[in-house]
Amino acid sequence: MDKNRQSALEIVSSYDGPKLRIMETCGTHTHEIFRLGIRRILPANLELISGPGCPVCVTPVSFIDEAVLLALEYGATICTFGDLLRVPGTSLSLAGARAQGARIRIVYAPMDAVSYAKQHPEESAVFLSVGFETTTPATCLAVRLAAADGVSNFSVLTANKAMPGAYRALKHSADLFLYPGHVHAITGTALCEEMTREGVSGVIAGFTSDEILTALAVAIVRHREGAPFFVNCYPRVVRPQGNPKAIALMNEMMDPCDSEWRGLGVIPDSGMRLKASCAAFDARKKFDLPPVRGHANPACRCGDVLRGACRPHDCPLFGKTCTPEHPVGACMVSNEGACSAWYRYAL
Amino acid sequence: MCVGLSARVVKVNQGMALVDAGGARREISAQLLDELEPGDYVMVHAGIAIAKITDEDKDETDQIMEDLL
Repeated sequence: MDKNRQSALEIVSSYDGPKLRIMETCGTHTHEIFRLGIRRILPANLELISGPGCPVCVTPVSFIDEAVLLALEYGATICTFGDLLRVPGTSLSLAGARAQGARIRIVYAPMDAVSYAKQHPEESAVFLSVGFETTTPATCLAVRLAAADGVSNFSVLTANKAMPGAYRALKHSADLFLYPGHVHAITGTALCEEMTREGVSGVIAGFTSDEILTALAVAIVRHREGAPFFVNCYPRVVRPQGNPKAIALMNEMMDPCDSEWRGLGVIPDSGMRLKASCAAFDARKKFDLPPVRGHANPACRCGDVLRGACRPHDCPLFGKTCTPEHPVGACMVSNEGACSAWYRYAL
Repeated sequence: MCVGLSARVVKVNQGMALVDAGGARREISAQLLDELEPGDYVMVHAGIAIAKITDEDKDETDQIMEDLL
């Protein structure tokens, strides 16, 4: 093992200071930290909390209910990332709706949904747009393409989230953040600098074992120094200015809105929705959807898990009625979810 | 769904790029990056290139650790 890797490993595994809680806010970090075995080397006083970093996990039940309604009552064809298929709604998941005859198509990217709509002019295709600043630009590009090509049978149901609101809502749930590298590849580092001025520390981390260990080592050393700090440990992908074209595109096509996060409630200005100028592609307006209020299983503690208030195995459903094969809560559905990762790697 | 993949640019044409990710080839949007050329490495999310990758991960973490210690 080379010297720098060994140093990072020693700093992390030998941490003996006061209890330190680091919250990762990226599903891929959650998954990779488990998969790489990093949790196994952590001392008892160093805790990693899997915060709201998986888009599927923070998507509220009402969004699934809206999608099911569109599919079963309005006859829309739902185009979705595969992860959303098994997320429980109030009474049905999208997989359950498909079993009742709904048309559900799995896509890899929003633009694939536009292609599907072009190829099936007799159907009305609705793309389920979930995700953070990393995926929102792809939705914007899809809408722009549909508008340019006159694809009038395409629309999107938005549940897009913006991280600033989540950081501020969760800043008392941990001592510092392991910021998501790819969100900040889009948004840049200004927000992290701003959080530092507000007294909130964090490091932007990449995704290899070296990158995660290095970011944790930097976080520990800088935390010991006492003052709020921010370090970009992933500059090969994250530039201070982010991706200006992506930011301009989101500003051009999306407006901020209050948004419900599963387990965290409604956070002001933490969502993104299509501007009025894109109303023809907004599924809620196109189909004149009524307000939908979802109801999660009251025993599910996904919300507490996302806030770091409990660990997955503290939930009474975990590993019993809630498993990756039969998920009750959203955190058990996606590979990036905290409960799913905990189940796969820590049981 | 929120997984980023690094990929090598094979060809760029009219805002689209053919990329190679460990042998798997796919066409993605290159509209959000300037001056993309064959041979560049990019980070891909949901079918679009969101950032150029400018360094080897090992070189970068070595530099960060040397600055830290």
